[in-house]
Formats: sequence, structure tokens, C-alpha cells
Amino acid sequence: MQFSLTVNGESLDIEAAPDDDLASVLRREGYTGVKCGCDGGICGASKVLIEGSAEMACGKAVQEADGATIQTIEGIGSQDELHPIQQAFVDHFAVQCGFCIPGMIVQTKELLEETPDPTEAEVREAIDDNLCRCTGYQKPVEAILDAAARMNGDGAVATDGGTPSAPNACEGTERNGETNE
Amino acid sequence: MSNENDPKPDGGTASHPEQDVTEFEDHPLEWDEPENNNLAPDERASVSQSAEKDDDPKLVTGQAKYTADYEKKFPDLAHAAVVRSDVPHGRVANIDTNDAEEMDGVHAVLTPWSDETPDAKYTSAGQSYPEPSPWDMNVLNEHVRYIGDPVAAIAADDAETARAAADAIEVEYEENDYVLDPEEAYSEDAPQIFGDDEVENKIVGHDYSRNRMSQIEGEIGDVDGAVDRDDVHVHETEWETIRQSHAQIEKHTTLAYTDEDDRHVLVTSTQVPNHTRRQLAHLFDIPIRDIRVSKPRVGGGFGGKQAMVVEPIPLALALAADRPVIYEATREEEFAGMRSRHPMKVRARTAVTDDGSIEAIDLYALSNTGAYGSHGMTVAGNVGSKPMPLYSKVPNARFKADIVHTNTPQTGAMRGYGAPQGTLALEGHLDEVARDLDLDPIEFRKRHYMEVGDLDEIAGMMGGEGAERRIRSCGLDECIERGMDAIGWGDIDQPDEEHRHRGIGMALSAQGTGVAGDELGAAQLMMNEDGSFHLHVGGVDIGTGADTAFIQIAAEVLGCPETDIVIKSSDTDVTPFDYGAYASSTTYISGMAVKKAAEDAKERILHWGSKLLEEPEANLETGDGEVYSEETGESVSLEEIGYEAAYGHDEREHILGKGTHCTEESPPPFAAQFADVTVDEETGEFEVNKLVVAVDCGVAINPGMAEGQVEGANHMSYEMAVSEGITFDDDGRSEVTSFGDYDWPTASETPTIESILVETHEPTGPFGAKSVAEVPTNTVPPALSNAIRETVGVRITDMPITPEKIRAALEDDE
Ligand code: FES
Ligand code: FES
Repeated sequence: MQFSLTVNGESLDIEAAPDDDLASVLRREGYTGVKCGCDGGICGASKVLIEGSAEMACGKAVQEADGATIQTIEGIGSQDELHPIQQAFVDHFAVQCGFCIPGMIVQTKELLEETPDPTEAEVREAIDDNLCRCTGYQKPVEAILDAAARMNGDGAVATDGGTPSAPNACEGTERNGETNE
Repeated sequence: MSNENDPKPDGGTASHPEQDVTEFEDHPLEWDEPENNNLAPDERASVSQSAEKDDDPKLVTGQAKYTADYEKKFPDLAHAAVVRSDVPHGRVANIDTNDAEEMDGVHAVLTPWSDETPDAKYTSAGQSYPEPSPWDMNVLNEHVRYIGDPVAAIAADDAETARAAADAIEVEYEENDYVLDPEEAYSEDAPQIFGDDEVENKIVGHDYSRNRMSQIEGEIGDVDGAVDRDDVHVHETEWETIRQSHAQIEKHTTLAYTDEDDRHVLVTSTQVPNHTRRQLAHLFDIPIRDIRVSKPRVGGGFGGKQAMVVEPIPLALALAADRPVIYEATREEEFAGMRSRHPMKVRARTAVTDDGSIEAIDLYALSNTGAYGSHGMTVAGNVGSKPMPLYSKVPNARFKADIVHTNTPQTGAMRGYGAPQGTLALEGHLDEVARDLDLDPIEFRKRHYMEVGDLDEIAGMMGGEGAERRIRSCGLDECIERGMDAIGWGDIDQPDEEHRHRGIGMALSAQGTGVAGDELGAAQLMMNEDGSFHLHVGGVDIGTGADTAFIQIAAEVLGCPETDIVIKSSDTDVTPFDYGAYASSTTYISGMAVKKAAEDAKERILHWGSKLLEEPEANLETGDGEVYSEETGESVSLEEIGYEAAYGHDEREHILGKGTHCTEESPPPFAAQFADVTVDEETGEFEVNKLVVAVDCGVAINPGMAEGQVEGANHMSYEMAVSEGITFDDDGRSEVTSFGDYDWPTASETPTIESILVETHEPTGPFGAKSVAEVPTNTVPPALSNAIRETVGVRITDMPITPEKIRAALEDDE
């Protein structure tokens, strides 16, 4: 069957079976930044923004997404011009193997659009279904808090290429007046 | 081939109680360290700077390629599915593949009897050669030993068809009795899992009539003598650990094909490209040179991808189907068919005098290695040989382990490698002893732990040449001091409610850095005419940032910006040899090979600099992308040198550097762990307020990345303290089939983890570095058990620590 999607601003006509899952369809179309880490619907690696809300693409049949506007990790910043969220992840060493990171960044984008100044608890809650085996969540949480600060204009300039060392990471935490203790 | 008389020194593998301790001279106190290896902080240009992780821009934009992302390059790619045993123990009596073979889109069906299925025995362990693991398995098994053992494999047009074909295969089993509990398995009348003729390369201490794959023992001094003295208190405690899954978010994935030159190529998510190549050559009887193993980005390893778990299957299928085949394990297979941490029972016994002098430590482990023996002996050896040396001042020490088979999935290498099990027992035990004798738990440890200058004989007590070591760097004091500060030791507020209590527990740990005397790393550096470099290194970056550390080490030597170095790692056709990413060896061993390669190239760079500047080489140094004269201040850029070397008139040269590195050294990194907990004495509910872990990893090549390693390891350690791991029903079926069943701490369930790096200088490591990524895996279970004991007075010894167990213990107490 034919489906049409708008992916990262481009319209795509796709031939697929109606219940093909959206993650596989997007990966087939070359959006391999959409990762698959579980047998579906649990790990968060396949999150994309569907009409602005972060959803696990593997858990959605392509027919349910027909006509939708989708943003994948490939549509959020580029290697030359990282999105402030991506830059914050880089600067805070929040990326290790990177497999969970596209989903994590997609989720962060939704979070910060809805809650521009989240508390640490809100950040942890938001990425609660983004499983990461590498980082222990500490640096991703710091990165997300700092990304919020950057996007609110009260943090470092996101794309200056600067690499604040990890201790600076805490500034975001303090600014938001909350720790996990 | 037999290993029995040739045990490998993989951290303690053989029973050699009578062995002579290596002579003092072999471990001189003074290490002949090259001057350029010890840079003061202000002399470091790349090293110990938090340089941006080399692959990050690709990773954060979704452009990085992992194995599954190569699919599109192969239009005729087939997908694999595996039929796995449905019974815990039995023999395949009949297998009907007709329906599967007739399905549309099916290209190959393999059973244990197919021509393309290798029939050689092997181990999936992914260790050096000869492997200190038994060759006890087949790629596809007629004798199945756990639910999940591979029996047949299919290649089809797509994953769904392959799965459907797998489901259409009917297997009849002749079922055998099975045993799941290691203590039961280790008795004369238990069902025997291996016939004596079913194992090659048997390991020291095996007794398959009792399902024992190995038994090891080592001792220094006279433990029994010390225990019998009448001026000592003898304490004994027993501990139990979970079966933890590696749970890498990227599943095991391999893509195999035969290229236009008839060479067999595997793009695979592995930690050990060279060991994988060697094991495949053995299985398929193909020359090593005709196999190419290439590692793209890897989505986490943690030891799970040291095992050659899936690679032979897609290769056999690719040969049978005559087309490229990809096999991506399912998450269910990850939990039931891949590897996991050896669950163990560990008994700790000490003899301690009234005034708190430890006269003897005696540790015994019963390890459940599951259905096969990969890493069985060596992981068990490390239960003793990693944690016990921490207390190198104790005169009498003994370690013994029995490693037994059960009809449960295979275990294997996992971050920490036996040290978490041993550390729980030892650090929990010492805490209990300190309480009993009314000693300060920290001062009690300090009296006995390692110091710089000590000759650590305990590390060598299990045999294996060169396993004793001289301690040349030790930041334990500072780890403890800074950790105490950060956690607020002795300075915490109690909750207002009377039934809630707050307290802190601590634990220490030591690991190793590489396997002493059993590692090899190599690197090659090629200079381009524009002054940039290609760095080819066998070392394996599985997400740790090793590539970046390699670049930083090379950049420090060459005096060039990191961005001028293009790295290519872990492709056996292109990059030099390496043992792979395990045993915390990558920065230390492969990193030193990189340093040597860079120094080799630098020699030639200085030669050309001398020519262009007309100054003796001795006056020249590299820095800021130039060769400059310390005498005249004149300089010439690396680019000018590159062009002159490539296109000069009277002399030409491709500037190349090579380095290989191996060593008998394995310096321990150290960790001091602190856990702050609040416990409700009515319900047993507890909340971990904060974890602090201070680590001495020598000089951190990249502090930002090193902190990330520490925090990730500590999270994994926290999981071992509070989560159930993989459990089985009475039939031996895994109760965990998805992440939904695997109860590990998510972001909101994970406390703040504060990592502290304590810098020391390890003269045997590149620029003073030793390992970092394993030691913080060992420490949360004992620290949390100790914290609960401190807070509400009950001791939890079997992991995980749960509110139910605490409540039950509190009720018992009353
Ligand atoms: S693959 Fe989609 S959530 Fe795991
Ligand atoms: S960075 Fe590896 S899973 Fe998150």
C-alpha cells in the first residue's frame, strides 16, 4: 500500500504493508538514526517526533502515521551545526556508545518544548523509558539541564564549540534549584 | 590440544600452591620510565584534557553506522533466525525442516548435520590462544543443554519470513534429566551435563561426573595455621550474587558475506575482532588470512560482545545461501541465548586479632557457569585475585573456587569479571568484622591495604607467571578522603520521622589493568603530505571513547591538533593486531602501542625538521602542529615537513610509525565507594539518596570520558545491589524475555552518582594512565549492604537488597 509521510520536512511516498512498523519503514528509507534496541515499545531507542510528540516508532504501524509530520534525529541539527541539545550532550560527555542517544535527544526535544525549565526530577521522569546501558544517566541528565539553560539563553552559547568540562555541568543543576537528594 | 598443563595467567587460573614466588628483581621498585611519559599538568597539550569525543558529532545526529545500518548496502541481503532448544537438557531426536525449506523466500536451512554447519568443538569465549576455556560447544547443537541452545538456523528474504520458517521447523527431543541449582548439580547423583568425550581443551580441576568444569585453588602463607591460633577471632560470612544481563542496547548483530575476492567478511558488533577471526578460522577451517572482521560503531559491549556469540551462524548461512546474511538477535534471545554474569555464592572467612590485625583471609566461591564453560575458570579466579590483593599486607591468604555446570544459559565475561562477586563478599565481610570488634571500618581497612612500593604476592597466588606485581601508584587514601567529603561522612541529618533512619556505608575495590603477561596491542601511524595523520589501531572502541583516547595520546606525542588525526580501528584487514577490548586493557595496552607508534613517527618527523631547520635533532621538539627549535625559536610546520618528505628532491620518505606493546604489568586502579541511604524500619523500604565513587585511574587521558565510565559502571553496580537479574522458572525457562521483565534502575530510579577522579601517576601506563571502567562496577552491593547495616542494624547478604528482605531481617531481629 502507499503511504505518505513528511519526514524532516520532505514528503515521502512509501510502499509498505499497513502494519509494517514505522521504525522499520523509516530505517528502510535511510533514516537509520532511528535505532531498535528491543523487540518493540520498551527501550526508547526508536523514538521520533510525530506531530511534535516523542513516540517509539517501532510501536506504531505505518498506517497509523499516514499523513503525519515526522521528525527523526536526522532532522535535528547536523554535524556542522549541532542543535543546542546535541551540543550539550557532546559537551557533557553524555554520549558513550551512542545507541540510545537519538531516542534520548528526540525525547529531550519534546521535553524542552513543553517544559523549558525542567527540574532534575522532571528530566529523569521524561527519559524514564529511554534505556541507556552506558552512562548511568548522570551525564545525560546534566546535559539536558544544561541544554535547557542554553536554549533559554542563560547558558553558554551552544554552538561555540566550547567544551565546558564536567564540573560546569552542575551549573545547570544548581540553577534549577534542585538535586536528587 | 589440552590446557591442563598449560594454564594461562588470566588473573588466576591454575592450582600452583607450591609455585615459587617470582624473584624480587623481576618487579623492581624503580620503573625505568621514559622521561616523556611523566608530564606535569601544565605540560600536557592533549592528554588529560576533556577533548570532544571523536565520533560524537555522528552519534548525536544519528549518522554513525552500527552493524544493522549497513543493510542497505546489500540489496540481496538475507536475514537469519535461529531455532533454539525448548528443553533444558536433551538430544535432538528428529528435526523436520521440510515446511521451512519450502517456504517462499527461504534461502538456507541449517541443522547440526548440514554440510555448512561447522562440526568442530569450540568456545565462544573470545580469549587469547590457547583459550583458558573448554571447547565444549557446537555452533548448532544436537546435545542441547539449556532452553535457548541453538539447534537450527534459517536465512530468508526478511526477518519475518526467517522467523516464520524457524517456527515451522519441528524438533523432537529425547529429554534428559536436568539440574538448575549449582549445589545440586555438584553432587554425585546429579544428571551429568557433559560426557567426558564431549569436551576438548579441558580445564584444570574438571570433574564432569559431578558437572564441575574446573576447580582452582591458591594460597600464600598458612591460612589454616592462622585460623587455629588462639589469639584470633574467626569470622565467617556467606554472600550471593545475581545473574546479571549485559543488556547492551544494541543487540548482538553480525552481517556476513563473501566478497569478490572470495574472502569472508564479517561486519560485526564485537569486542574482539582478532580473536573472532581466529575462532572462525578454526570452526570453518578457513585460513585466517581469508577472513576479515570489521567492527563498525558498537552499541555497548560490557563483556557480552567479547563472546563470539552469533558470528558463526550468519557466516554458515551466507556460505549455504550464497548471499550476504545478517543476524540480529532478538531481545528475548539476548536474555536467554546470549551470555550473562556468573551467579555465585562466596564464603568469606578471616582470622583477626583483638586489636584488629587481619592474620588471614580465606575466600571460597561456588560459581554457576551455566550450560557451557566460557570464562568459567578465569572469572572465578578473579573473584579472589582482584579483590584480595587490596589487602596485600595480610600475611596468609587463600582462595578456592568450584565452577559447576547447570542447565541454564551460558555465562561469560562481564565488566568487573568476578571482582564484583568477590568484592561483595570481602567488603561486606570486613564491615561485619569491624563492627564486631568495634573498629572504625575505614581505619581497619587502612591498616591492611596496599601502598606504593608493596610487592603484591596475593595477585600471584593463583599461579601464572608474572602475576605478582609491584605497586607503583596508589591513590586509596585520597579516594577515601575525597569520597568521605563528598558524601558527608559523619555529617548527615536524620529524617524527622522516628521510623526512618539515614546512614552511610562504604566499600573499597581494586581491579587490574589488562591481563598481566597476556596482552598485545599494536598501532601504525601514517603521515600525509599536509601534515595530518592516519592512525590505524587494533584496539576496539565499543562506545567507551577509546578511539578518542588513542587520538589524544598520539596528538600529545606528535604535537598536533587532535583534529589532524584520522583514526581507523578494528578492521583485521587494515589495522594491526590487538587482543581486543576486555580486561580493562584498551587505554593501557593499545594506548601504549599508539604512543610507541607516534614516537616512532616523531623520530622521522624530527629528522625532516632537522633537515629543514638545519639544526640538530636534539634541539628540536614538536608542538602546535610544528617542529620548533628550542635554541633558535625557528619552526617549520608539519605540513611543510609532510610535503618535503613526500616530494623532496634529494631524499624521500613516507613517514610511518609503528608500535606494539605487551607487558607483564597489570597495575590496579582503585575505588572508594560511598552509599547514603534512608531506610524505613517499619516497611523495609529504602531510598538511596546518593552514590559517591572516587577512583584512582592514574592519569585520566580524557577526564570527561573517564567520569562517564565511572558513572556507567556504578549504575551497573547499583543494579547488582537492587535488581533481580535474570531468573528462571522450575523448567529452566528464563522469566525475563524483554526489557519489560528486566527490572533494572531507570533514570528516575537511579540516584545521583557523583564520580571523583583521583590522579596518580602509573609509570607503566601511557602518560601515567591505568584502567578505569571496571573497578566502579564492584562496589555498590557491599557499600549498600554496609549502609543498611549501619542504618537499621540488619545485614543483607544475598543480592538483591529488597524491602522484603530488610523487613524480614528486622522482624527476625526483634
Ligand atoms: S526499538 Fe522501539 S522502543 Fe525499543
Ligand atoms: S550511550 Fe550506550 S546505551 Fe546510552
